[in-house]
Amino acid sequence: MGFYVLRRLSQSVFVMLAVAFLAFALFRFAGDPVMQMTGVETPPEQQQAIREQLGLTDPFVAQFTRFVGELLRGDFGFSFRTRQPVAEMIRDALPATGELGLVAMAISLLVGIPAGMLTALRPKGFASQSVLLMTLVGVSLPTFVTGIVLIFLFGVVLGWLPTFGRGQTVSIGWWTSNLLARGGWRSLILPALSLALYQLTLTMRLVRAQMMEVLRTDHIRFALARGVPRWRVYVRHALPNSLIPVMTVIGLQFGGIIAFSIVTESVFQWPGLGLLLLRSIRFVDVPVMSVYLVFIGLLFVIINLAVDLLYAVVDPRVRIRSGE
Amino acid sequence: MIRKIMTILVLIALIAGTATATGTSESDSQSTDVVFRWATTTDPQTMDPHAVNAAPVLSFLNNIYEGLVRRNEQMDIEPSLATSWEPLSDGDGWRFFLREGVTFHNGDAFTADDVLFSYERGTSETSDVTSWFAPVTDVVVVDDFTVDILTSAPNPLFPDSIANWMIMSRSWAEENASTAPATDQENFATRNANGTGPFVLSSRSPGVETRLVPNTAWWDDLEHNLSEAIYTPIENQSTALSALLSGEIDLVNPVPLQDVDRVEAAPGFTVLGGLETRVIMLGFGHEKEQLDYSTDVTGVNPFQDVRVRQAVYQAINVDDIINVVMRGQAEPASQLLPAGLSGYSIVNDDRLPYDPVASRRLLTEAGYPNGFSFGLMCPNDRYLNDEAVCRAVTSMLADVGLQAELTTHPVRNYWGELREDAYDMYLLGWSPGTFDAEHPIRFLVSTPNEEARLGSWNYGGYSNARVDELLPEIQSELDPATRQAQIDEIAAIIQDDVVYVPMYTQPLIWAMADSVDLVQRPDNFFMLRWVNVN
Repeated sequence: MGFYVLRRLSQSVFVMLAVAFLAFALFRFAGDPVMQMTGVETPPEQQQAIREQLGLTDPFVAQFTRFVGELLRGDFGFSFRTRQPVAEMIRDALPATGELGLVAMAISLLVGIPAGMLTALRPKGFASQSVLLMTLVGVSLPTFVTGIVLIFLFGVVLGWLPTFGRGQTVSIGWWTSNLLARGGWRSLILPALSLALYQLTLTMRLVRAQMMEVLRTDHIRFALARGVPRWRVYVRHALPNSLIPVMTVIGLQFGGIIAFSIVTESVFQWPGLGLLLLRSIRFVDVPVMSVYLVFIGLLFVIINLAVDLLYAVVDPRVRIRSGE
Repeated sequence: MIRKIMTILVLIALIAGTATATGTSESDSQSTDVVFRWATTTDPQTMDPHAVNAAPVLSFLNNIYEGLVRRNEQMDIEPSLATSWEPLSDGDGWRFFLREGVTFHNGDAFTADDVLFSYERGTSETSDVTSWFAPVTDVVVVDDFTVDILTSAPNPLFPDSIANWMIMSRSWAEENASTAPATDQENFATRNANGTGPFVLSSRSPGVETRLVPNTAWWDDLEHNLSEAIYTPIENQSTALSALLSGEIDLVNPVPLQDVDRVEAAPGFTVLGGLETRVIMLGFGHEKEQLDYSTDVTGVNPFQDVRVRQAVYQAINVDDIINVVMRGQAEPASQLLPAGLSGYSIVNDDRLPYDPVASRRLLTEAGYPNGFSFGLMCPNDRYLNDEAVCRAVTSMLADVGLQAELTTHPVRNYWGELREDAYDMYLLGWSPGTFDAEHPIRFLVSTPNEEARLGSWNYGGYSNARVDELLPEIQSELDPATRQAQIDEIAAIIQDDVVYVPMYTQPLIWAMADSVDLVQRPDNFFMLRWVNVN
């Protein structure tokens, strides 16, 4: 087991190097950062001096090795635009995205799993049919449309919830929290719902498909035939068996939520990692973009690893097969 | 049984988010405080007044810092930290008499030494505002409240050109190791501010929120009634509009032209439209010997022929562009700066008429009776509806046989493309930083010369000896009539040569709650000192 984790971790270093390399190769097409950093009256030779000072005129390989070297030394550099340390910018944006992702995940699980069971157990029922219809809407509407519709309905027309930003937050060390702040959760509802909608439909449909399959298996039929109470059969025996593949997919999806909540964050002006990335693209803030991408690469590697390990914990067959 | 429980569970889960929200509609703002909230698309990236010469930064910091002079509602120069000024009697330059009894937000007294320090800081190697001080040779502290600014030649416009030169306290900068703008990493002045202005920076979270409170010790009469002002950048324009309509934001700038009707239809909101000082124009590659994007013309650049440039001019129906693409919110422009600004050439006020027949005739005379094809380069996120304007231009040019192939770029790539001459014709907007006719001549028309810092935005490389000869004269001419005659001569040259095709002056569109009363200045600066919330 320990060797397995170690091997996976060492592989991840190469994954991240590859991410960094690709990102760096693409940045040359991202535009000219110096024109974004200076005003219109700045003379061209001063711009050129800045370009040289930032090392932008160096060959690609030199820039890349310098970047990797600095990363290894824990130096994440400074934003071209705001001159803030990039590590601090990512640290400040992480809690917003983390909480948004967790809440969206929780919503999608708390609603998606029961809804999936319901639609599997009573596929022809009215409730199931209407839930299925709703999820069809959820999966086919783009996130920004659901976001704008939610804002318009609950923010503008009804005036119940804030339309943008994080609102009230409390700080616990460097982590800023909406959930723990009085009234802070109100700001979280709309973006979390908007982000959760797609995950929710995915979870529900997965649970439904798995559940229907499990319900057809012999041990369920046998249990029912023996007269075990129905709810016990469904919750104790059918549900855990249908959740194993669901867990894998959801784990991977969580990485996606964190990394790609960009659209939701943009629509709700949610000051998280996605907004940070969008802004750094807009202003060609190369240090922020590169560190962001490497960080996301790391996140995916960790989540993948965690999912693999969890899989082994939950499913005894995996453990037995790997001989431990 | 189970089915019922599950149905209920699903329902509860589905409505949980919305149902519980009803209980929290109580407001979290205090009753007597007047809090004003506003949003724009671009967060000022620094609080350092000498680090970036860009409108979002200078506009924001003008609420916190002050210069020797400032602009009033009509954009005229008026006393600020200097109470008066006069040309030096011996030698070239200006003497400024400073206001006494002014303190910085931290309590430091304002003296002539702070002016000298702000000059040193503004001309330091890492400053982005050095262009303001190009004519300055020295700054001399005469006494605590008198400063002489010496220039290399008589400079009648100097007081007008330093309205954004903000004065920083020497002792504060030295105590906080911020005597020059930050280069690699931020310094104290990047996120903190200590000006003399009407508002004090009370908190700053870059990219998220910036709060200001009134300066209770400000020297001037209060014209606002605010107790706090909160700025939030909202990058997505539809989000900003929703925030306005839901009452969370009091003012949004800018509002997309297509949403103007929606705001006006909403009760309790108004659109404040005015003209910005920015003229949108088309430029040509005067120096290019051939077209790079043509499929039918090789080896020559037809745009080097003034008849072809005039044909382009007369083929474009600017009124249609204004009415359709700009929804009637813009004004036609005949020069490189909008009518009404200092030095605007009234004798050259008329535009060439829209006349496709004349345009075709000119093309025939120039040897292109059937027109030709070429590449038109445009930004797609820099000016209001820039891409749509370019599409309209493309179809109008096609009517006279000029086949423009349109390429659009986001602004982060656009200037680089222009610098590398990757265009046959391009779109440019220009707002004169000094609000004087000399500014566009210096940047857009005079022959490019890096050393003399001339023509740095003259991408096409237009060169005219008479313009180059006149420019230093209009920079130093003290007699207004003589100076205007010189400017008129240049304006006529620009028009006769069709150096650019000026199209229209771009509008400013702000949307706000009816309860807000303020002044919209044509430079798009947002001045909190005129804001009242009723």
